[in-house]
Amino acid sequence: MRTIFCKEMKLNIKSLLIWSLTVGGLGLICVLMYQSMEGDMQEMADAFSNMGAFSDAFGMSTLSIATLAGFFATEVGTVHGLGSGMFAAVIAIAILSKEEEGHTGEFLFSLPVSRTKVIAAKGISVLIALVAFTVICGIMYLIGVAMLGETIPNEEFIRFMAGQLLMNIEVASVCFAISSISGKNRMGLGIGIVMVMYFYDVVGRVVPDLKDYLFIGPYSYANASEIFSGAETDGKAVAVGVIIAVVCVIYAFWEYNRRDLAG
Amino acid sequence: MANVIEINNLTKNYGKNRGVIDVSLEVKEGDIFGFIGPNGAGKSTTIRSMLGFLKIDSGSIRLLGMDSVRDHEKILENVGYMPSEAWFYGSMKVTDVIRYAADVRGIDCSEEAARICERLKVNTDKRIKELSLGNRKKVSIVCAMQHKPKLFIFDEPTSGLDPLVQKSFFELINEYVDQGATCLLSTHVLSEVNKYCRSAAIMREGRLTMLESSDIDDDTFLSFYEDQEEA
Repeated sequence: MRTIFCKEMKLNIKSLLIWSLTVGGLGLICVLMYQSMEGDMQEMADAFSNMGAFSDAFGMSTLSIATLAGFFATEVGTVHGLGSGMFAAVIAIAILSKEEEGHTGEFLFSLPVSRTKVIAAKGISVLIALVAFTVICGIMYLIGVAMLGETIPNEEFIRFMAGQLLMNIEVASVCFAISSISGKNRMGLGIGIVMVMYFYDVVGRVVPDLKDYLFIGPYSYANASEIFSGAETDGKAVAVGVIIAVVCVIYAFWEYNRRDLAG
Repeated sequence: MANVIEINNLTKNYGKNRGVIDVSLEVKEGDIFGFIGPNGAGKSTTIRSMLGFLKIDSGSIRLLGMDSVRDHEKILENVGYMPSEAWFYGSMKVTDVIRYAADVRGIDCSEEAARICERLKVNTDKRIKELSLGNRKKVSIVCAMQHKPKLFIFDEPTSGLDPLVQKSFFELINEYVDQGATCLLSTHVLSEVNKYCRSAAIMREGRLTMLESSDIDDDTFLSFYEDQEEA
């Protein structure tokens, strides 16, 4: 199992570096842009906070983008939320199905290792990649903040990154389950799921009738604006996220163990 | 001689499509067993069921005296399988693939792997994606043989191999069989059955028939295929 895990990590390392350096780099640029915009920011912050539903959707009604924390939450929050979600989807949705799509399944599964161990090794490799992605991006954001000579609240920053990691794990679990069913790489479907989840959260913050149901989506407990404005994490949303992740992973084990593997 | 392969009343369907029907088969230790039949007759389905890639509908399969479902991992420790199309991870080097297969088995096969690579003239420095089908098949042979298994299962092994490599391949099989291994050889090549196999069976439309002898003439061999087309 360790050998399969190591091989998966080796095969994923390029993708991990490209995604983490791209998303982390974009976040870093966003942070650095704060300094150049700081002078004009107060006027812009006032304008953005009075844009009704738009301000609500992007958290600018509760948080001033004239502060670094507010700017970080609205700008980096969006970049990291979408970027990390897409990475989680892309890496997880191919992790099992690639063996059948690439016709390598007959080689792998003719070796003395059970399907359960293969699924476990691949699942752990996805989890480690998501943690590494979060750490790399987090370090890059902090480098940006340090380059500005500013600080952002540690507790909120850690809560934000942890929430994003949990959201990534939930997205990855859904895609992992899809990967166990499909013999083909459904990358488009994975990215589509992330986009739907993200826009469900954005729309849910604008449409009053949907606000009570925001907790269903994974972006609800990972929302940067809420976290940086000091709001409590919605325990119900986290619980739903954890339940969805656990159910999807269990389903992936069950499905992949019971079905025929394509040649 | 003990049975190394023992299949009883195996049935496997793909939804409404026929796979194999009520297949029973015994292969004795030390045999080189020819498994012939037209495309789509069910040879690969039988092999893939034996290896656990497919979940069987009914019947039982025992390999090396063990149950193919319950003792799946234990069986695969002693099986060397070569699929008809040898696919590996394109970005990996040949040497890494061979070592990876050994590492998953948890054994050091470097000496035997080097010996087989030399016999088959395998270039271990190339990446898999740079290899032709024939060269990928040579890598597949190394992966199937390097751990000196008790049972070999080959699915159309020689397609894409040049004649010299084919010769070396069968020499290797004979060497392992002389040391006590058993071999199931699925093939469309009559000369391979006649020359190397000690017993044989034909698969047609999902059903298996044992042949009295592996010494088959051209007309009989072709009739197996013609019957299928007419049906």
